[in-house]
Amino acid sequence: MHATSRRRFLELAGLGAAATAIGPRPAAAQSKSLTFLHESSFIKTFDEYFQKTLAPAYQKETGVKVNYELTSVGSLPTRISTIAETGSGADVTMTFFLLPFLFDEKLLDVSDIAEEAGKKQGGWYDSAREAGIVNGKWKVVPFSNIGQLMNWRTDWFAEVGFKKFPETWEELYEAGKKLKAKDHPFGFELGHGFGDNHGWIYPLLWSYGGHEVEADGKTVVIDSDETARAIDFARKFFRDTMLDDVLGWTDVSNNKAFFAEQISCTNNAESILWLGKRDFPEIAKVTDQAQNPAGPKGRFHIMSAISHGIFNFSPQKEEARAFLRWLTDEKQLGGWYASADTYYQPLLHGYDKAPMWDVEPRNIPYRDALANAHLLGWPAPPSRHLAESVAKYVIVDMFAKACAGAPTKEAIKSAEVQLKEIYRAV
Amino acid sequence: MSVRSEPLVGSARPARRAASLGVWLDRQSVFSWLMMTPPLLFLAALVGYPFCYGILLSLQDRPVAHIGTFVGLKNFMTDFKDAIFWRVTLNTFVYTAIATVLKMVGGLALALAMNQQFPMKNLVRALMLLPFIVPTVLSTVAWMWILDPAFSVFNWFLIALGVPKPGPSWLGNPLLAMGSIIVINTWRGLPFYGITLLAGLQTVPPELYEAATIDGAGGWQRFRYVTLPLLQPIILIVTLFSVIFTFADFQLVYVLTHGGPQNATQLFATYAFDIAMGAGQLGLGASVALTMLPALALLIVALTIYLRRG
Repeated sequence: MHATSRRRFLELAGLGAAATAIGPRPAAAQSKSLTFLHESSFIKTFDEYFQKTLAPAYQKETGVKVNYELTSVGSLPTRISTIAETGSGADVTMTFFLLPFLFDEKLLDVSDIAEEAGKKQGGWYDSAREAGIVNGKWKVVPFSNIGQLMNWRTDWFAEVGFKKFPETWEELYEAGKKLKAKDHPFGFELGHGFGDNHGWIYPLLWSYGGHEVEADGKTVVIDSDETARAIDFARKFFRDTMLDDVLGWTDVSNNKAFFAEQISCTNNAESILWLGKRDFPEIAKVTDQAQNPAGPKGRFHIMSAISHGIFNFSPQKEEARAFLRWLTDEKQLGGWYASADTYYQPLLHGYDKAPMWDVEPRNIPYRDALANAHLLGWPAPPSRHLAESVAKYVIVDMFAKACAGAPTKEAIKSAEVQLKEIYRAV
Repeated sequence: MSVRSEPLVGSARPARRAASLGVWLDRQSVFSWLMMTPPLLFLAALVGYPFCYGILLSLQDRPVAHIGTFVGLKNFMTDFKDAIFWRVTLNTFVYTAIATVLKMVGGLALALAMNQQFPMKNLVRALMLLPFIVPTVLSTVAWMWILDPAFSVFNWFLIALGVPKPGPSWLGNPLLAMGSIIVINTWRGLPFYGITLLAGLQTVPPELYEAATIDGAGGWQRFRYVTLPLLQPIILIVTLFSVIFTFADFQLVYVLTHGGPQNATQLFATYAFDIAMGAGQLGLGASVALTMLPALALLIVALTIYLRRG
């Protein structure tokens, strides 16, 4: 009996395996379909617009079904890595920040689509070229920026005599000192988040004339008087205007602090005002947005571009191209932008006066900021070395260390040692 | 009869063959291997392959989505020259050592308390497991609120005691941030220790305690000379597991501080992830992750030898 049951078990197990192997499989490509990878949007209506309006419209027009695959917020780099490494999983993908430069060898040249869109829709912003062109070829078609600007409380600023947002960092510092004395400190992230720290630290460094690497992409120039001045400013800015806790903040922290009415000013995407209007209308009424302040060398913003690219291992390159060309057409783009108000700021001049900017005039600084927005690491071209510097928080931690008490020279020195090691092989 | 005899002869062969296959399958040596092969293949595919691939990656200059080039031990040399890497190493050892000791002492105390008779014992024991059951990411988000100076119950308490507002910055101060993640890890890992040691405590024969009491042993002596020696093997095994889990901890730090402030809470796993996924340097990331291996391997070997001897 014992023996029979063992044998019976093996037979059954074998049968099971065989059944799985030869069982019915999904019929291969009954109708044509494309997979379009996107990270979940903070604005729900944005994803819904694609799913309910754009995808059905494309299917109706061409018969090609577009599967809009959403990854959770923050998981896009991991997902793209998996797809690029295995050579399957999506045809068209969203990219952001430095991803087009890390994955350029796996992306098709889409210069024709990008140039055509530029010609038809008013021309590209310079920052779009910075974000989309890798070694002379457009590897992605830029879609938008998600700008990082100043979010501030008009009521509290007015209490200390500021009816308008300060024009320079020094003036902002003066306002902040008064506001902190009135228990309304500032909250600018100095921790290991992703957007809200870079959103003000790089622009601050640039506006004092500091850079981490030269435009040649290999000469480390972080040790300069300009950097030292930016750090000295950041130290007093932190000490006299901010909460100590910002040193440990991540990207969620400043939103939380703003709505808890703990802070009077921060650097963030449009999401604070957007969420305020929905959930905290009283706070939203006294919230405004402004461009980053200017320093001795000008005014700067970061470019956190979202773009779309096509994987070169896609078995349906031509279908993917056709889809991306269709998506980049004014008819489709306009509606998609409008579905998220102006959370996604178009990088084509054709949209500079689009009606979506009239919906909320307080968002207009996000459009104006595009004129002086740059990718992290500017003026060096994006590279894997730059990606390493960003992932290791070299610049953020240089400022954070100084704000926490380290001497300026020491903070710069340790950043320089790290950068030289990172750029050694170039 | 003669008509039937033909097919009988013909069918006898396969029948005999089937029978001999059956006998062969029934052999202990064959059958045991047959049963062991699937899990071994499973292990090789899901543990062995990634492990070997990890070693291979760590020896290459391998940007994501590019072909790698063999560079020998260059990645490890880069790590050893990186000040952050040494910071990460120190962090990981401090984090693991303190959290493990706290969990061991606390877990033992918890188990001893839970081994007493009290009302609603079973309910309390079940509740004790909660920190272990709740998904780490979820409990970490709760801790994020607990450690936010504006909402923190600790700060509220300290301010009530006269500490100036807003009270300590738990995640902004490097030392407090490390202390905070150690406390959270301990909070999360305590039930694992507690419940395992409780199971061990319940296997201690009551006669031993009776005999010790008759010999004049007090509470402490009964614990020191009866409970502790009998629990020792279990304590060792739990510690082994706990050290491995704590050493390779990822979620807690990734969600709460992402290694900040200024890398004060950066651990091997989070640093390796940032380099591999954030910077797309798969080779360098793998080398950071692999440097965990010698320390862990030594510990595992030492503990295993100790256990076998015991």
